[in-house]
Amino acid sequence: MTITSGFRPCGLPRIMKSMKSRVCHLVVIFFGLLLPRAFADDGLLTQPWKLNGLASPKFQIQGTASRNNPLRQALKVPFSGDELFVRYRIRYDLETIDLPEEKNGEFFVLWLDQVEGNDSSTHSGNIPNVGLHVSGNENRFMVRYASSNQQFGPPLVGDREFVVVARLWKSQSGKSQPFDQLNLWIDPKANSKSEPAASVSHSKSINQVRWIGFSTGVKTEIDDSIDVWDIKLATTWEAILDLPPQSTAPTQPIVKRTIDFAKHVYPILKARCFECHQGKDAKEGVRLDVWDEVLNRTAPRDASKSKLYQLVLDGEMPPGGESLKSEEVATLRAWIDEGLEWDQKLLPTPIPKTTHWAFQPIRRPEVPSVENAEWVRTPIDAFIARQHRKHGLTPAKPANTETLARRMSLDLLGLPPNSSAAPGDVERLLDHPAYGERWGRHWLDVARWAESNGHQHNRHRAYAWMYRDWVVDAFNGDKPFDQFIREQLAGDELNPYSDANIIATGFLAAARYSGNELDKQIQRNDILVDIVNTTASAFLGLTFECAQCHTHKFDPISIRDYYGLQAFFAKGQPGNVVLGKDAKAKSLVDRRWEIFDTVHARLVTIKRRQGIANPIVIPTAVIGGMRSKERAEFRNLDEQIKKVAQAWAFYSPSSSAKPLTIAPHDMRFPLPQDPRILEAQKTALLIRGDVKSPGPNVAPAWPIVFGPTPSEIDKPRTALAKWMTSLTNPLVARVWVNRIWQWHFGRGLVETSSDFGLQGTQPSHPELLDYLASELMTNKWSTKHIHRLILNSSTYQQSYEFNQANADIDPDNKYLWRWKPRRLEAEAIRDCMLAVSGLLDATRGGPSVELKSKRRGIYLRQRRDNLPHQQMLFDGASGNVSCTRRRVSTTALQQLWQLNSLFAQEVAEAMAKRVKSAEHAARLAFGRVPTKKELAHLNQHAEKHGLASICLGLLNSSEFVYIP
Amino acid sequence: MDRRNFLTRLGTGSIALQSLMAEGSLQKPHRVPTARSVISLFMSGGPSQVDTFDPKPELARLAGRDVPESLAKNVPKIKRAGLQNLMASYWTFRPRGDSGIPISDLFPEVAKRADDLCVIRSMTHRNPVHGPGECVALTGAASGNRPSLGAWALYGLGSETQNLPAFIAMNLHNNGMQHPQAAGWGTAFLPSSLQGTVVDPAKGVRHITLPRGTTLERRRRELSTITLLNDDFSRRTGRDSELEARIRAYEIAYRMMKAAPELFDIKSETKQTLNQYGMEKSAAKSVAHACLLARRMVERGVRFVQIRVGGWDAHGNIHGNHTNMAARTDQPVAALLEDLQRHGLLDSTLVVWGGEFGRTPTMEGRGKGRDHSPSAYSVWLAGGGIRGGQVIGQTDPIGYTVIDRPVKPLDLHATILHALGIDSDELVYNHHGLKETPLGVTGGSAVTEAFG
Repeated sequence: MTITSGFRPCGLPRIMKSMKSRVCHLVVIFFGLLLPRAFADDGLLTQPWKLNGLASPKFQIQGTASRNNPLRQALKVPFSGDELFVRYRIRYDLETIDLPEEKNGEFFVLWLDQVEGNDSSTHSGNIPNVGLHVSGNENRFMVRYASSNQQFGPPLVGDREFVVVARLWKSQSGKSQPFDQLNLWIDPKANSKSEPAASVSHSKSINQVRWIGFSTGVKTEIDDSIDVWDIKLATTWEAILDLPPQSTAPTQPIVKRTIDFAKHVYPILKARCFECHQGKDAKEGVRLDVWDEVLNRTAPRDASKSKLYQLVLDGEMPPGGESLKSEEVATLRAWIDEGLEWDQKLLPTPIPKTTHWAFQPIRRPEVPSVENAEWVRTPIDAFIARQHRKHGLTPAKPANTETLARRMSLDLLGLPPNSSAAPGDVERLLDHPAYGERWGRHWLDVARWAESNGHQHNRHRAYAWMYRDWVVDAFNGDKPFDQFIREQLAGDELNPYSDANIIATGFLAAARYSGNELDKQIQRNDILVDIVNTTASAFLGLTFECAQCHTHKFDPISIRDYYGLQAFFAKGQPGNVVLGKDAKAKSLVDRRWEIFDTVHARLVTIKRRQGIANPIVIPTAVIGGMRSKERAEFRNLDEQIKKVAQAWAFYSPSSSAKPLTIAPHDMRFPLPQDPRILEAQKTALLIRGDVKSPGPNVAPAWPIVFGPTPSEIDKPRTALAKWMTSLTNPLVARVWVNRIWQWHFGRGLVETSSDFGLQGTQPSHPELLDYLASELMTNKWSTKHIHRLILNSSTYQQSYEFNQANADIDPDNKYLWRWKPRRLEAEAIRDCMLAVSGLLDATRGGPSVELKSKRRGIYLRQRRDNLPHQQMLFDGASGNVSCTRRRVSTTALQQLWQLNSLFAQEVAEAMAKRVKSAEHAARLAFGRVPTKKELAHLNQHAEKHGLASICLGLLNSSEFVYIP
Repeated sequence: MDRRNFLTRLGTGSIALQSLMAEGSLQKPHRVPTARSVISLFMSGGPSQVDTFDPKPELARLAGRDVPESLAKNVPKIKRAGLQNLMASYWTFRPRGDSGIPISDLFPEVAKRADDLCVIRSMTHRNPVHGPGECVALTGAASGNRPSLGAWALYGLGSETQNLPAFIAMNLHNNGMQHPQAAGWGTAFLPSSLQGTVVDPAKGVRHITLPRGTTLERRRRELSTITLLNDDFSRRTGRDSELEARIRAYEIAYRMMKAAPELFDIKSETKQTLNQYGMEKSAAKSVAHACLLARRMVERGVRFVQIRVGGWDAHGNIHGNHTNMAARTDQPVAALLEDLQRHGLLDSTLVVWGGEFGRTPTMEGRGKGRDHSPSAYSVWLAGGGIRGGQVIGQTDPIGYTVIDRPVKPLDLHATILHALGIDSDELVYNHHGLKETPLGVTGGSAVTEAFG
């Protein structure tokens, strides 16, 4: 016998068949448990049922072949409000269903009445009934006031559980008005409130409900077997569906409106404010004809904290002349207090116009012809050479082959060159699987990827590694960048379904997720904010986060744009998505939740009995509260589920290509699992970014500055990806080629590689940037194509030779007159140490490993807040927010690690065993023959202290940790 | 360059050394500082204000009842803010010291230093969850995406020592508490060289000792080789500041290997001092050790010391929990103030005590505990130019909400930076073109009445 606490479509237990008995019709055990669950929620029903001998509290009901009233209960307080919802679950035994065509049928209803009736008198005329009756050749669900006034919904199917929900309401509000409207839903979804399966009305109905109960009729025989359970009354749609109100979109406080914007407020603004504060040239830039701008100067629902209001109240505005009349001030006050209503038709938000370079279309420039033509190896060089000439710079001579081999290997693979490889063999390097491991790590920085939830509990995400491998594979396979975006943003929506696409949504799912957050609105919003900020920064190169609270100060991004972008993601959430054919997995997961919910409900009931308000039962307590048999089965299921293929991914049931099973993840207070809660999500503009201050709802939309978003969107994130990857999007291709450039040269053509907005830096070579962006798009968005253009260029292949005359003109090497050596990242330093010592374990992919492993850094477990020590020392990515460019900071603690750590010792000793001489050690470390002076010093050193000691020295040298 | 050469550099390179670790972004402080160093005693989990520094006799009268409607309406509608079943404090409050500021019997030793303390009773923010709450308290932002206060202090002022990390954090979370939020010593968008160095008081700085089998002579030789190679590489590539800094970092590492073990070697302290901190008591030992080290650190020029004592999360049993936590902390904290004073360091060291939030005046569930409550909580400041023996701010009659002089965590940060001579709005870091300051867009202002 199980009672659940979660209203879950799949997990609700049936009444146990074994308890079905024709003799024993009454089973009152568990009665006490059922009551709080089913009836106490709204305090409407608290009395025990009156049982007449033909019902049971699992409520297995049989007929009597005549009118019967087997089960009924009084409401605690008679209800005469305007709206009442009722629900129950029903299952009709297949074998006992009679079909109308056999001149028989079924009848079974729930009634709501002012009077109780008695065992054999039912409640017919004028009384709302919700149940089953004959329609034509079928038994169908129906609502009725009388047999002459009934409407039918879907047909009854035997041995299947149905959720029946009805809404009884008054078309005219008032205690003495009749409940003249009755709607029916069968298995409703969260969003189907406006689509009842049947509706009837009747003006002479009751105006008060005091009793509810079930009736059978002449068509209901003694051998019929009807299971009824989970009966509930509520006054709202959300409550009747057990949609926790906190899990739905933020509810907007109901205020009694006294102000009509067009009628009351607009005339004041127009007469007293617009003379100065309207249009583009508004005084001091303060516009009062645009809602987003007004919002920035007010605190909606709190006039007293609103600057705008204070200024008129103090008589500072309007300046000179007459102050506002007191009733005008009162109108403005009421308008703000009531939530700052606006008429977008009257005063629409203008589409911002901008001349900022990054928002202009990408135009493919002509490749310039330059004097220094022999220097031009790829078109890139022509753009660079033109700037050299313009600034009077002389390019450095080409790097020697040893240096170039080392540079390319470190740059592309993050490992020192293999001595047997031909120098500068670009294709071999691009085809090497280590390429994806290095460049994949670059992307993981941007994607703020890590393998724990972050925040306080920071639990492990055991299946997050799937995304890491997906990224590595995407780089190795040169996945077109448009596809790369599409799969990461909308993998679950794409048709045909593929596991790989689901894994790709690990980009979205990498958001931090606070497992200790009880407020589900805050918990959900934090995740969405993380997703929006990362998506905008990663693909669009825009700093969206400012607009979370207020319209962006510099970029043409409004707070409305922010939440418009958020709306694309609102109906999905992260979780462990089961991969492959999951028939078995689903039943395992369902059964696990069934046990969990049963015990949870039991514990909640116990706590309620003890008088503890608002019980919070945490997962560990639920497991602790299991009976030994339950716990054994539960643990067994968990073990089996762990073995099921799954990925930490983002999934939206309402737009996914197919329904997917979500396996549990380790979290104290996760977001609710019910897909209907997700489907019901709406996005409201949050005033000042505060979840508790919702403004108007917004639909999915990209920023208005990029033009309108279609109003009908079927698959929201697919639409977003489509817009991003359209050939007219001005940002995405530019941002991507700039990142590639940055990862090759250490600095992008646009230095602020995640801020292409007005606060970002101007591109050093704007035409080159557009040329590369256009090359990307016309070459099937191939990243490797851009690599080839860069790697084969003279620009890339310059030596690092310093030139004082050039440095006087361009000290920062902005115009690339030489190669600027730069420090390797944390992972690459460690990887290179392992490689030269021969300790490197080159195993690829799979679950992450602990620090003692000798695999590449990309495979070390990435636990937020507790990343590998060496990564933290050498400016590694935090995994909390998108890391657009690794910093290089220097502290003596790095040197202590490189000199004294066990790791450094182990590596130095292993390297010493590998090498035959000091000269060999130097060649291995630097990829070049040491100079005579170096060699003399090293030999002397080795003689005295051994090869391990010079190996440690070499590994500590700048040359070892810099890309030359 | 030979070994002698490296050692010569060590002797004379002090000017070069300056630029690596000693210098902050400010040529000189914005104002005359009242403190040189900060010791932050962070009480993770949330000590209860109404049982420590904010006496509420009304609680005894209302015990067992619900929060009166007149007060309940001001309690923010946030999770965990229970309004049922008010609970009196188990501890008696008494006026302490010459100033007579009230402190409960929970902290008899700290109470003796009452005249040093400036208690702020009106701390407030909105986040009732430990993780984000810690981030708010230590970085100003719940997301943990902003630099810690210590990183900002270092960014502004740099270090006074070249031989030790300038920002050191010690985490005493040995009671099965949650892992402390790393944002508290993190740098976010500031360079990672400004991050707090996490040390275990018993072990000191990581990787500080010579590996087994390496003699001092061998190490000097290794450093010579490294210096030779690095000098050469730096010369070939145009002597950029990053590579020069790397060369100097080896020199500093070498100095640190001498200085840091000395710092952590407390054998030179007298038995009397050790006992004063409570080193001989098993409950107090770990906090005593950390507090003693904190004094030794500021003595040696460490700018920012953070001690995080986990375990204040008294959900089930406030009496048992706070009694235990007081046994861990009361004597060591009082001794730290005393000892700083004896060493003439209290005037230049700002000591800050407090948690990420306070606790509800109501009972949680049916236990005898209190839930998280960020709406009002108490912290105190001492030393470093603070005028002791005063109370700032006021809460409602049951200590649930602030009714006078609200102070947000960022206001407290501004106050601490103010003591260091930094004007928070003037300390600017260019983050990819965005001008970042310690208080960000949220802003804040120093509680200047706390000073002299």
